[in-house]
Amino acid sequence: MPDLMPPRRERLEILGEVNSPSFVPWIKRHSGRLGLEASAFSVAPGRIGVTVAGQPDLIDALEVGCLLGPIDVWVSAIDRAPVADLI
Amino acid sequence: MRLNASSPWIPLALSGDIPNGTVIPATLCSKPIAIWRSQSGQVNANGNRCPHRGMRLSHGFVRGETLSCIYHGWRFGQDGACQHIPAHPDVVPPASINCGPLQVAEQDGVIWVAEDQVESQPPRLDGLKPLRSLVFCAEPEAILTASGGTEVDLGVEATLAGTRICLLLQGQAPAETLCLVLVDQATSPKACAEISRALEGIRRRAEGETEKRGAA
Amino acid sequence: MIDAWYPVGLISGLTREGRETLLMEQPITVRAGKTGKPEVVTADGRSLPIVERFGHVWTSLGTPEKDLFTIPEADHPERVLVDVGVVRVKCSPLRAVENFLDIAHFPFVHTDILGAEPHTEVEKYDVKIREEEDEVWATKVKFFQPQAAKSAEEGITTEYMYRVPSPTSSVLYKTCPPRPGEWDVICLFVQPLTETLCDVWPWMALFDEDTSMTDLIHFQQLIFLQDRSILENQIPARLPLDPGMETPTRADLTSIAYRRWLKQHGYTYGAELVAQ
Repeated sequence: MPDLMPPRRERLEILGEVNSPSFVPWIKRHSGRLGLEASAFSVAPGRIGVTVAGQPDLIDALEVGCLLGPIDVWVSAIDRAPVADLI
Repeated sequence: MRLNASSPWIPLALSGDIPNGTVIPATLCSKPIAIWRSQSGQVNANGNRCPHRGMRLSHGFVRGETLSCIYHGWRFGQDGACQHIPAHPDVVPPASINCGPLQVAEQDGVIWVAEDQVESQPPRLDGLKPLRSLVFCAEPEAILTASGGTEVDLGVEATLAGTRICLLLQGQAPAETLCLVLVDQATSPKACAEISRALEGIRRRAEGETEKRGAA
Repeated sequence: MIDAWYPVGLISGLTREGRETLLMEQPITVRAGKTGKPEVVTADGRSLPIVERFGHVWTSLGTPEKDLFTIPEADHPERVLVDVGVVRVKCSPLRAVENFLDIAHFPFVHTDILGAEPHTEVEKYDVKIREEEDEVWATKVKFFQPQAAKSAEEGITTEYMYRVPSPTSSVLYKTCPPRPGEWDVICLFVQPLTETLCDVWPWMALFDEDTSMTDLIHFQQLIFLQDRSILENQIPARLPLDPGMETPTRADLTSIAYRRWLKQHGYTYGAELVAQ
């Protein structure tokens, strides 16, 4: 069993036509599927923000899934930035 | 026709149908599943769809105590949880990535699968031993009629070649019924052979009847 | 999607009587006309537009906005052009393309030919939708292979580029051992018969002076038949445009970019809109 890569905490900003009510529940479900913690959702016109924590490759997988998302959204880009842990 | 009235356990294969290290498809109340036996002999069952990209897991391969999907090699343990993603070998897959494990019991030479958590054991098949499994292109009702037997909880009891037999029936698809044939424990090899031959007669009659009804 | 160009036959396979086939459920006949030029006619006698390119006859049930895509690399005079021949697959035409874009399956589906354990890791690569050409491109794709091409002698790390220039066509460029710096070109042209049935027409333009045409064809057919057993056993049959019931990872980026591009254009023939 490989060593667990150090978990990361990142802020994802999902941009585009993303304001369908289906999208936040979709992101919650999909991050749960990937074993990621998803929190601190923010919704503004044209952007959804979420903080996720977990293995880096699985955060990549969440980004990949969100690039498509449910049928009624169009994601034009996803910005990512590390979030420092509060000590 | 009631096929599995009281028990949550569904009989879906004979032990001999699944040697060590193999996987087969089956249908559990219209839901496609995969049943597999690990290298050490442990039977397992789960949904027949890889959570990665939807490939049928019954086309996969058993290695040691795990089942791998043939498409991208995603590997699942006996608890259904993904253990390894070959394209990303350093990832420790979370248990949330799983193939929908089901409860399995192997008893009296029969493999039973349950959809939900079950406390009880499968029904006992006292005095019977497995003979073979067959798929009939027929409805259970037609098999009942063709066998000249009586309906019981899990299928049909009948007499064939002078011997008591029991057919456990499970619909797999319209006009497709899985039939696990059990015979009296004391049945001789010669009688078993006669029963096998007589089963072909039942099959022909049942399939003919189903075809007639289908055409009507 | 009705206005796109689709392959419907081999130029070398045309006959006067013609071949009856389907394009998006419309019956059509593909034949050599009186002058020898290809003709495609619908059941009610409508003549469809034709392009002859890459050894195949292409047509459309609608009105294509632009000409069929080109592959300049394939025009090199020393290239060996290989018509592989049609394979019918009971799957969505979009699934056939998605599988062609995927490399993570090489060690498992094309074991010891295009990949082998333990060399299963898929490293990061680049994917983008090129706005001007309106095509999906994946570049800097690398994979270690024991026997990359019929002309390769030992294992090498092969580099790839993938391109999707139309909804059911894909072009793969791979490093060419006998000609460093050049790319071998392997194409999958998919004819949608229905949303869940397609005819796949593989085609290649290679630098390979040594392998016989028969061997080149057999090699590509073998690869594709291995893929067919996957394609006919995926759930759901149509290509999901919502991956909610799947688990795509970074290795699947080309497939996801293809699905995004289909979604952007409303190319939904053979697609599933809601996660099943």
